[in-house]
Amino acid sequence: MEVLKAISLRKYFKTRKKSRGSDGLVRAVDGIDFSLHEDSIFALVGESGCGKSTVARLVLKLLKPTSGSIQFKGHDTIEFDKRALKRFRKSVQIIFQDPFASLNPRRTVYNTIAEPLKIHNLATRSGMKDAVSEILGKVGLRPDILNRYPHEFSGGQRQRICIARALAVSPEVIVADEPLSALDVSIQGQIINLLTDLKNETHIAFLFISHDLKVVHYFSDTVGVMYLGKIVEYAKTEDLFEKPLHPYTVVLMESAPNVEPERYGKMHSAPLKGEVPSPLEIPLGCPFHPRCSKKFDPCDRIVPELQASQGRLVSCHLWNPY
Amino acid sequence: MPLLDVRDLTIGFTSADHRVPVVSNLNFSIEESEIFGLVGESGCGKSITALSILGILPQNAYAQGTIIFKDTNLIELDPESMRKIRGNEISMIFQEPMTSLNPVLTVGYQIAEVLMTHRGMKKKAAMDRAVDLLGAVQMPSPEIRLKEYPHQLSGGMRQRVMIAMAVACSPSLVIADEPTTALDVTIQAQILELLHSLRQERNVSILLITHDLGIIAENTSRVAIMYAGRFMEMAVTEAIFSNTKHPYTKGLLESLPIEKGVPLNPIPGFVPRADELPSGCRFSDRCSYVIDRCRVMEPEFIEVSSGHFSRCIRTEEIAWKS
Repeated sequence: MEVLKAISLRKYFKTRKKSRGSDGLVRAVDGIDFSLHEDSIFALVGESGCGKSTVARLVLKLLKPTSGSIQFKGHDTIEFDKRALKRFRKSVQIIFQDPFASLNPRRTVYNTIAEPLKIHNLATRSGMKDAVSEILGKVGLRPDILNRYPHEFSGGQRQRICIARALAVSPEVIVADEPLSALDVSIQGQIINLLTDLKNETHIAFLFISHDLKVVHYFSDTVGVMYLGKIVEYAKTEDLFEKPLHPYTVVLMESAPNVEPERYGKMHSAPLKGEVPSPLEIPLGCPFHPRCSKKFDPCDRIVPELQASQGRLVSCHLWNPY
Repeated sequence: MPLLDVRDLTIGFTSADHRVPVVSNLNFSIEESEIFGLVGESGCGKSITALSILGILPQNAYAQGTIIFKDTNLIELDPESMRKIRGNEISMIFQEPMTSLNPVLTVGYQIAEVLMTHRGMKKKAAMDRAVDLLGAVQMPSPEIRLKEYPHQLSGGMRQRVMIAMAVACSPSLVIADEPTTALDVTIQAQILELLHSLRQERNVSILLITHDLGIIAENTSRVAIMYAGRFMEMAVTEAIFSNTKHPYTKGLLESLPIEKGVPLNPIPGFVPRADELPSGCRFSDRCSYVIDRCRVMEPEFIEVSSGHFSRCIRTEEIAWKS
């Protein structure tokens, strides 16, 4: 069942100054569509500034879209009244990137996790402590930490507390915005296992935002690759990694360092020149064409549409001759 | 003779009544024009090792042992002589280029300052040289960027400025402490390629500190794996991955997602604090191969085959290939 759906989602931010060749609008998210199904994981991949965290905020209604909509189980979230919004907040939770910044330093673990239970009336006052302990158990923490503060924990333990807070209200969707990137390698492995177990037990749908292709390959079912506010390739995870079609997806995969034996001591030659253009001045035509090694005649004039090709969606003139 | 030869290096902090060692008895050497990798999780002592080579440890820290660089023991060197080496013959590239550049000086001046200090160049000549250096690190339009401030540059460009500063005086050794951690993968690949070309063209040795095993696999010739202030394994890079001899290295590799559906086998627990180390082997409380003897005495760092060192009493008896 489809739980969450984004339709032509756009978010433009106004900047104060208009400069030549720019209308002063940052097109952070520029018309993206995706759907998230029950018991599945949709990953958004891309480099910093591509708009993936803005998508997370739009989905959670922390930001208002410029146009387009987000549907939760078929209902437009824009039109939610106060009661519907409260139910929505219970159903959709988030795990942030930095567990050092996303826990209130003045609250004990107990207070952090009990708060959502109180707000949504999910436990009685006498049963609260047991309820919190049970949730901590799900993320592999012992109940004897209830009265401790965030500064007493390592990064991995804090991320577990953040996951426990998200799980407390038994959500249907969890938005995870780079939940691993602040953690050490061995701790990343632990958290990936924890998230996989949770998904298998609870059938929660995940919107998983990451820049790490290895993790995305391992964890997700469907992937959207974002570049400058647009999805450039949208495919089943196996298909995408089996054969990436969009030239940007190809260079992302080649750029990521890897421990596979064939890459030992490989003299590095960077697959991609230049930097991501400013979202204030998105290039004409295909936004990726100034960096693309495969560009040809129409690329600098005509914006490619996201169209079906080889069992997926891709926006590139190579695959979808206009 | 190696360019840098570190013997029995111990680094620690002094508090009111006692000393807490954080790095113990490191032995390693870096050859000319070699990229030597140093891997470990946060808090294992990699960065403090770098700082001790440059003689910029915090006030309350101490270093013992010898660090021989071109016939000079850097540990015994007086501050004035050390200043002449630092930034000149040994230089450093830090992780976060935003916080390690001065925000109120132009990047051109910051590069020129190195040359004025160590080479006694006049400002005009030094600024001209700075343009060449920015060109050498492949900065687009170097004459214009010269007059800009760090905030006007992207993360990748700032790291290019850091590298230009580091190589301004043609050093023999560059210490790069997580030089690409703050960058996107495509930019990371460009910066690593740049480090390689500098090594080849200028015959520089690089001490590359990172937590990313993929970067190590692709870019270094030898590598040391560090845990809780000790080297656990050291070998040529290929042997570390294909012929692993230490449970910690094995655990790190098994924390990485490789194939979908195969559960990860990450190291349990977390890195102990420097003042709460387990008795015996420092990895004993997290090791899946632990036996009673491990908790009694700390193992020696033994050469198991030519140039391949491991600190584990069970190195010989465990069948390492999984």
